[in-house]
Amino acid sequence: MSNIKLLEIKNLNKSFDNKEILKDINLSVSGGKIIGLLGKNGAGKTTLIKLINDLLTPTSGEILINGKKVGVESKKIVSYLPERTYLNKQMKVSEVMKYFKDFYSDFDYDKAEKLLKDLDLDINKPLSKMSKGMQEKVQLVLVMSRKAKLYILDEPLGGVDPATRDYILDTILSNFNENASVIISTHLISDIERILDEVVFIDKGKIVLQSEADKLRNKEKSSIDEIFRRTFKC
Amino acid sequence: MLNKLLKYDLKYMIKNMSVFYILSLFFSITTRILFSLNETVMVKIIGQISVGCLFAMIVNILINTMMRSWIRFRDSIYKDESYLTHTLPVTKNDIYNSKFIQTLVFFIFGFLIILLSLFIAYYTKDRWLELKGVINAITTGLEFNTTLFVISFIAVVFLEVFNAIQCGFFGIILGYKNNNGKIGLSVLFGFVSYIVSQSIVLLLLFIFGLFDSSIMNLFTNNVLIDTSSMKLLIVLSILIYILIIGLMSILCKKELNKGVNIE
Repeated sequence: MSNIKLLEIKNLNKSFDNKEILKDINLSVSGGKIIGLLGKNGAGKTTLIKLINDLLTPTSGEILINGKKVGVESKKIVSYLPERTYLNKQMKVSEVMKYFKDFYSDFDYDKAEKLLKDLDLDINKPLSKMSKGMQEKVQLVLVMSRKAKLYILDEPLGGVDPATRDYILDTILSNFNENASVIISTHLISDIERILDEVVFIDKGKIVLQSEADKLRNKEKSSIDEIFRRTFKC
Repeated sequence: MLNKLLKYDLKYMIKNMSVFYILSLFFSITTRILFSLNETVMVKIIGQISVGCLFAMIVNILINTMMRSWIRFRDSIYKDESYLTHTLPVTKNDIYNSKFIQTLVFFIFGFLIILLSLFIAYYTKDRWLELKGVINAITTGLEFNTTLFVISFIAVVFLEVFNAIQCGFFGIILGYKNNNGKIGLSVLFGFVSYIVSQSIVLLLLFIFGLFDSSIMNLFTNNVLIDTSSMKLLIVLSILIYILIIGLMSILCKKELNKGVNIE
């Protein structure tokens, strides 16, 4: 079996205007895990995710995805959901689906169609005519309809009503294969706690804790949510 | 992947530009019809309005092609849509080349629509012969083939405008490297790179002038240059612009490949 990690981050630093946002981040992720990237607002979660997705350029350090530097090959196997709506609003949902099919060879058009139908979303509707919440659901469906090796979801529950959160979590759980991993960034820990295999706590640009979720719960005799509240108490 | 990127870039432009193309052709037809009717005062007034609208659309095609190219470039590389652009399995070179070709295609297409609109609105055999006469007079004086003269003249104007558009791209790339004042800096860097590119054109012409006294006359006095030097000047201008556009394109891609920092 190969020792290549799905994601390996070595001594990663990122600064803006001489202000250090991420400091000496080291992280490795293997296949078949759901990892919670947890931290307060402004802790550096989104910055880290954007670096992995080539949306930011590291100040120093290295990011390897499946053993390769971030680039065309890594993007073929990473499915990323940003925390904002990013699709061209002039397009209809069906056009965006074709767009994904054109660029991602692992995109399952039929699956996306089915998931959109489940969510009662009309594929012939332009995105501009949809609410922000509906657009976010479309994005989630598109991202989860890829047969990627690594899914990176930045605040997937942020703008969604509590009733839909469970559906989203079920969608995530039932739509990635067992060798793939999912990194979920959120501060809504209680909502996702049940699905996490590992947790990474990030604070002030540093990883302060990385552990298997069950081990941590047993060690601290409390839920991840409670541990988080204790760790980051203001 | 370049062809796929280009497909969507062209679709975007056609969606946003088609209204101007349709209106330009529409007003060219109305102008034609109104000027062929009996000249009552009211028809004359409406005819003049139609002419005004036609030229407004022509100006709109030119300005919008330029502005839309810049906006499309900025939006898909640095705004919200960039979250998709930069996570597609495509190279930064392909992303840039797609924008470059898209601008080129729509600039040529817009130009053809303008020519077609003017043709519809104003073509008569007499006017055509008159225009031909004027061009022939110029080209005979310059000992130039008429068709070649028209093509060369259009090519110089086209390359000049295209250079300006690409300077805008370069300005955006440099402007968005900064964390603050991105739009202002983009305009500033775009303007500076345009001035620099024009200075290089002049500098290279000056260097050629060292070997050709009639081209040097352009810099030293206000005497008209002779016909063979005029030809050389046009050919040189075309070659220099192609060289500058090529170099600017390489520079843009080099800067883009250094990475982006999306908000």
